[in-house]
Amino acid sequence: MDFEDTPDEAAWRSTVRSFIEEHRDELGQRRDQRSFDDVVSRQRQALLYDGGLVGVTWPVEAGGQGGTPMQQAIIDQEMSRAGVPGLINLIGIGMCGPTVIHHGSDDQKDRYLKRLLRADDIWCQLFSEPASGSDLAALRTKAVQTEDGSWRISGQKVWTTLAHLADYGIVLTRTDPDVAKHRGLTMFVVPMKAEGVTVRPLRQMSGGADFNEVFFDDVVVPDSERLGDVGDGWRVALTTLMSERLTLGGGGTEIGMSASTVAEHVARQIGGLSSDRQALVRQDFGRAYVDTLGIRYTGYRLLSAISKGAFPGPEASAGKLAGTKVARDLADLSVRLLGDDAAYAETADGSSSWQDAQAGLPGMAIAGGTNEVLRNVLGERVLGLPAEPRADKGITFKESIR
Amino acid sequence: MNFDLDDEQRDLASAAGDFLRGAASPADARAMLDSDDPAGAEPQPGRAALVSSGFATITVPEDLGGGGGSLLDLAVVAEQAGRVLAGPSFVGYARAAVLLAGDDDRLRALADGSTSYAVVDGDGPTLDAVGADRFLSLRGDDLVCGPGTVTTRAPMDPTRGLGQVSVSDGDVVATDARLRWDHALRVGRVVLAAEGLGTAARALEIGIEYAKERQAFGRAIGSYQAVKHSLVDVYVQIENLRSLVWWAAWAADQAPDELPLAAAAAKGAVSTTLQAAAETLIQVHGGIGFTWEHDAHLFWRRAKVDRFLLGDDVGAFDEVARLALAAAAAVEAESVGAAR
Repeated sequence: MDFEDTPDEAAWRSTVRSFIEEHRDELGQRRDQRSFDDVVSRQRQALLYDGGLVGVTWPVEAGGQGGTPMQQAIIDQEMSRAGVPGLINLIGIGMCGPTVIHHGSDDQKDRYLKRLLRADDIWCQLFSEPASGSDLAALRTKAVQTEDGSWRISGQKVWTTLAHLADYGIVLTRTDPDVAKHRGLTMFVVPMKAEGVTVRPLRQMSGGADFNEVFFDDVVVPDSERLGDVGDGWRVALTTLMSERLTLGGGGTEIGMSASTVAEHVARQIGGLSSDRQALVRQDFGRAYVDTLGIRYTGYRLLSAISKGAFPGPEASAGKLAGTKVARDLADLSVRLLGDDAAYAETADGSSSWQDAQAGLPGMAIAGGTNEVLRNVLGERVLGLPAEPRADKGITFKESIR
Repeated sequence: MNFDLDDEQRDLASAAGDFLRGAASPADARAMLDSDDPAGAEPQPGRAALVSSGFATITVPEDLGGGGGSLLDLAVVAEQAGRVLAGPSFVGYARAAVLLAGDDDRLRALADGSTSYAVVDGDGPTLDAVGADRFLSLRGDDLVCGPGTVTTRAPMDPTRGLGQVSVSDGDVVATDARLRWDHALRVGRVVLAAEGLGTAARALEIGIEYAKERQAFGRAIGSYQAVKHSLVDVYVQIENLRSLVWWAAWAADQAPDELPLAAAAAKGAVSTTLQAAAETLIQVHGGIGFTWEHDAHLFWRRAKVDRFLLGDDVGAFDEVARLALAAAAAVEAESVGAAR
């Protein structure tokens, strides 16, 4: 057991650190979400890509460097340490790209992957629908093949992060309603500016609008944009979802709320409280901080296992469950420390960061698989508990929606 | 970075598990509760067997008869002890090994089992006071070792050998020993957390086994989300506790600067996690779960007592907060300084 960098890791860390220092001004500083600018974000990602800091774990032929997850973790740590804002195309890198790598044609890989890493193109993932969120395979957006071999896609997707900025998306469609619901699905790459695609931003409870609903009205996609075989879309989607698991739960990433930022906030505020209030605040903060440490070091265990060649299994979702809980605890504590300002959407001096943060967190327990569904997966696949009975087994999709 | 046990530690855990499963069980803990004198009964495997197995004194140097191992080695063994509710605790051996460093004669006596030590924290309940020959305590800043008188009361968990100790005059083992004492206490907290990790993990396993078998309304209760999700929440807590225990043990061996935070975090986490595991075990079993005949309360007793040993969870969380806030304030001051 050793937490120190190996010589290779130390050398890589120093490479990463000097690149960031050298480009400190161009990379910008992490600020609140309201100052987000997609053009600047794209430029930043292109700069990082050209410096070799985006997609290191991707194969060389896909535009990456065939590097290790530990190298990626070191990049994440150094970017976070330096306060460099996150990448704009995380969904593309974490989920869409790996799906193209595994299931795409050589032509698709050539056209898409490098541009995706440079943020020349932004990607989104079009899976969820109004009537099928957690029950993903119940989706209804259909794709019908025409005589010339191309496909016509019709239907509606929802909760699509970044669709309003995206150039491409991977879309999961139903191509055969007469077989069991998991068997009749097919995946495509769809250009988001194609005729018949309509994107409508959805404003969230936090006031932000990262999500969208997306309408497909007879959108024509050539057969060359299919990802994987016809009817094999569920297996293709599982590649995406397994990659997502690593993006969301791995490496001890903090969800929505950095414990060190909260610590600085608490340290600044606590002196003004009565001593018994201070003791209560320390109790709450201590409990939450212990949780963040547990999550961080469990992430390190996962990362160590992945470095030795293990593939992240469902147990990686434990980090998301624990992370969403502690993020809420920390946000609640932080907001309460504002005193009377906590009753307003922003403090008297105009900052809304804590109030915004707490409003973003209920969504985290739903996004990327609701916590309830993740608990089912962990319970059944890791603890070996019996499965929830299902009413849709052994029947076709058509029968299941009656 | 390589945050994982190595093969030797896995083998050690496996060997310790074999030994401890053969030498102690919840049935032994139950027999103590049912005995005429629960406070005076000897827990299994007992001191002699633990010492002769070599597991209890892993951290004593080899040339003095110990195993010459790391605290992490001891932690993976202690986890196995926690699974079978073994006694006495490995905590006393770990603390004594730190406190007696430099006193070769006493360390030899610890390693060969000729003297049984217990460590006394002020007026509070002392772990494994019952059956101890000599007591280590702090007098002013001096570490002293001497005989003592143990007063027992009806124990919540008799496997912990609790008693109030009034220490007689003893020999000074070391002067200016405050820092060593604090270090030993933190080492003890890590080992206590390792035992609690094993106890919690075993409680979860028993709960899972039952949830797979027990039928209600025509299906296994583990298929209901209400039951499944409770067990998963405990599993998530246990995995995070495991990470904290390993980190804290590693810190004790390799990064003493990190030990105060890590040990307090492990102590706080084990208190809440073991309690959640034990109470979930009872809940999953329904009515049977709170009968005397079922083993669940033996795990629950550990949770209820361990929480108060070596400082309680409230103190541990407070310590974590103080350390983290002091570090944050230092960062703040540094950035203010840089801005000038």
